[in-house]
Amino acid sequence: MLSDLQLRNVRCFAALSVELGPGFTFFIGANGEGKTSILEGACVLLRLQSQRTSSLAPVVKFGEKSFAVSGRWRSHVMEFRYSALRRRIVFDHAEQRNAQEYLRLGRVVSFANTDIELIRGGSEPRRRYLDFLGSQIDATYRPTLRAYERALRSRNALLKSAQPRPRELAAYDQPLVEHGERLGVSRAILAQRIAPIAAAVHREIAGAEESLSLRLARGNERDFRADLANSRSQELRLRQTVVGPHRDDLELLVDGKPAAQFASEGQQRTAALALKLAQARLFENEEGAPPLLLIDDIFGELDPNRRGALLRNLPAKSQKLVTATLLPSRDIADARVFELRDRQIYRA
Amino acid sequence: MRKTEYPEPIRQLIAQLRQMPGVGPRSAERIALWIIRSRNDHPEQITNAITAARQAVRPCARCGFFATEELCDICADATRAADQLCVVEQATDILPLEKTSAFRGHYHSLGGRISPLDHVAPEDLRIKELIARVEAEKFSEVIFALAADVEGEATTNYLVELLKPTGVTLSRIAHGLPAGGGLESADELTLYQALSGRRQL
Ligand SMILES: [Zn+2]
Repeated sequence: MLSDLQLRNVRCFAALSVELGPGFTFFIGANGEGKTSILEGACVLLRLQSQRTSSLAPVVKFGEKSFAVSGRWRSHVMEFRYSALRRRIVFDHAEQRNAQEYLRLGRVVSFANTDIELIRGGSEPRRRYLDFLGSQIDATYRPTLRAYERALRSRNALLKSAQPRPRELAAYDQPLVEHGERLGVSRAILAQRIAPIAAAVHREIAGAEESLSLRLARGNERDFRADLANSRSQELRLRQTVVGPHRDDLELLVDGKPAAQFASEGQQRTAALALKLAQARLFENEEGAPPLLLIDDIFGELDPNRRGALLRNLPAKSQKLVTATLLPSRDIADARVFELRDRQIYRA
Repeated sequence: MRKTEYPEPIRQLIAQLRQMPGVGPRSAERIALWIIRSRNDHPEQITNAITAARQAVRPCARCGFFATEELCDICADATRAADQLCVVEQATDILPLEKTSAFRGHYHSLGGRISPLDHVAPEDLRIKELIARVEAEKFSEVIFALAADVEGEATTNYLVELLKPTGVTLSRIAHGLPAGGGLESADELTLYQALSGRRQL
């Protein structure tokens, strides 16, 4: 578990230090007090990425050049410093040359109000869901994703130039296809693994009358190289790469129908919750420490039934950091409660 | 009250020193004070060495490595295998490869790699020179030793396609070089294994 957490120049906080409980730790305060930033600090510490944004630049406090997060995770000291020019990863006071070992330590599942975008938003949040999951169970996932994205951006830059030159484009086909195929296969396997778990969790929340199923809709044909070659005239016209894992989507069906169009808002919230709980359960079944759960301001959005279902289905052994405007429930035993007022934190 | 600072010439010196790679404000200040307070002519010797090196050193006309004559020591060395050419991204990649003693042929530095995101196109690199050399110097093998990241891979692919029609044997060093790090950050053993485990393309 994460026994303490320190933030420096993270979002609105110049400095903040907090000792976390083993079960529920609540952060109560009005909107804009920075509750979510504390959760974000924990996420960045363990995963070197934010659950809110794809870039870490906005995490830096306004007017500052860098931020630092540190904390004790299962008796080890973890520390991460970020500036636009440099990232430093420190584990037990030794600087780490690469992130792979460090990222094996702790896993995170984040629940937020915006999770409903997983169901009714565009395909991007669903790819991010898979990527956040994949990079936590497979050490090669993130490097592969990064390499694919770099090859893709390079290729798109070439396609946007005044006269795209076929020989340069072709030079980038190979890294795009190589990393893209690996990424596509990883995502398909992830979708296969998460599907039965999500279906089971969904049944527990929604009851047996409703069913959730999902599968990966690949952004390219099975033979990516051939698909890319066939799309050449289209990509020259649109000036971007039109096939590949950047077009992957996670197809979600409630009772056999596309959830985005046919499910009610309540059903959509249930499906989103099931996806996140499935992530937590998948980590729970994996080796290593139970995941840290970040639960950001969702209790107010859920009706009592779903709230109860959420509480019942959260991994019992996981540590939970929860933000809310009001303390949601008196029936949670052993909760540690902090209040945030005027950017200061008080133990309640 | 006005804050007391070093006199202007020292502040200027610190500012100049800070332009050097790896020199932060603290080290710049320490070096500047050492220069000012030296009781011997070591600082002047450094000034002279900078001027001399800047005047004497130029890129080798053939391979791009550091040279004082038209050709560098490697290109001028008649005992080296004349039939093998190793292509690298930067002139600074050559010495780490030399240290492994796994390769006794000649080199060609491209002066970078193709990188659309950094606005580096093929014509910004010494690619024409490479093709001219391959046509003129009758190599039996051209080995690509570029970084194992996306730009390194793409640049290798580009050159392979360009050189295929010449019929020369093309190979690349085995993977295992740190991705993104380039040759500079690889240790000797890794480089040795990469060079000796190269595979034909
Ligand atoms: Zn030379």
